[in-house]
Amino acid sequence: MSKAAFDPVTLATPFFILTVILEIALARLNKVQARYEARDTAVSLVMGLGSTLAGVAIAGLTVAASLWVYQHRLFTVPMTAVWAWVAIFLLEDLTYYWFHRLSHERRIWWAAHVNHHSSQHYNLSTALRQTWTGGVAGTWALWLPLSFLGFPPAMVAIEKGISLVYQYWIHTETIRRTPRWFEAVFNTPSHHRVHHARNPRYLDRNYAGILIVWDRLFGTFQPELDAEPCRYGLVKNLGTFNVLRVAFHEWIAIAQDVARQPRHALGWLFGPPGWSPDGSRETSREIKARWAAERGAPEADREAA
Amino acid sequence: MFSHAYLVQVAASGAAVAALVSLAAWARIARPLNPLDDASARFHLAEEFPDRKVEQVWVAVDGAGALAKSGAAALVLCRLGDGYVARQIPWAQALAAAFKSGRIVLDLGDVAAPKAVIQLQAWPPKDLAA
Repeated sequence: MSKAAFDPVTLATPFFILTVILEIALARLNKVQARYEARDTAVSLVMGLGSTLAGVAIAGLTVAASLWVYQHRLFTVPMTAVWAWVAIFLLEDLTYYWFHRLSHERRIWWAAHVNHHSSQHYNLSTALRQTWTGGVAGTWALWLPLSFLGFPPAMVAIEKGISLVYQYWIHTETIRRTPRWFEAVFNTPSHHRVHHARNPRYLDRNYAGILIVWDRLFGTFQPELDAEPCRYGLVKNLGTFNVLRVAFHEWIAIAQDVARQPRHALGWLFGPPGWSPDGSRETSREIKARWAAERGAPEADREAA
Repeated sequence: MFSHAYLVQVAASGAAVAALVSLAAWARIARPLNPLDDASARFHLAEEFPDRKVEQVWVAVDGAGALAKSGAAALVLCRLGDGYVARQIPWAQALAAAFKSGRIVLDLGDVAAPKAVIQLQAWPPKDLAA
């Protein structure tokens, strides 16, 4: 999406740097619970920097596409109206929910998103571990309908930026719980820790950007349970700090699978992560089902536990 | 192609990354990780492979990894940073791994975790080599 004159992410960058320093310093002084491993932090930050460079590289295409769509819009939404900002906040956040869910549930889009989940740590630097290949994956197109509805592309870009900045602060273990009313409505550190966890109970849950209500509405909400601490990372964690492997490993794995079995190319590309023609691998759904069966309890008990 | 301001911004970002990584290294706040022993290796293996029964475990002499036999599979656990990475490979492949300079290098056949290096006193185990 186009870089608006008012870019929340650019404005927030000094805040990102200062808060990472603060989290490390307070952890060093044993004032908060946070863990940083230097090479892991390096990967996260280099991924963040690379993501901004990749964004610039693809910006021409995304700006042109959104402007073209906007030229063919159904309505004209005034950028100065309060109701328009309320509407774009809700619609952008809903779009984000489905973008995020798709990014976890279809392998081609997971390939672009997996690196964000590849750290075994959960701290503010993890928030900056962003994709290099989101532009190639084309998920930016999911926001085009907003411009088609009549929201100016700059307005959409600003709202996307606000959402990204909001999601930064929830990548931390230093905040355990926020007030109940806030946990009920908004995405919080607790909710997002669940999202980054690899425990079977927590897999593929809490896709929200700002409002957790979407997960509650669409049945993907899972509260963090004190009895089950989050274990962060991937079902199969990365065995390297090589940033190129972090950025591209799933794309390469897809290419290897398609080259080996071109007949199943569609399944390899659009099946869920872990799908295989012979069932020799496990999807999140299968992992959760096995886990539930081993416990002798239906998966549905997650809400009651 | 790029404006001077943009290049300055990228350079400043690079410097900020280097400073933050240095700070993280200086702070020494990674997870405390004791060397693996038989019990802790089995604990991690059970966590990573909940449906596999571990028959025998060989823990690395430096405590930074372990190899286990589980039927026709070898379960590989190796340390990365302050965490662990686990993979499963055919037992025959693990058994055939070359033992040099007190360590075996296992090809994990995975672009996300290409190899594991485990320091062992000897390999293959005499009772299972045949």
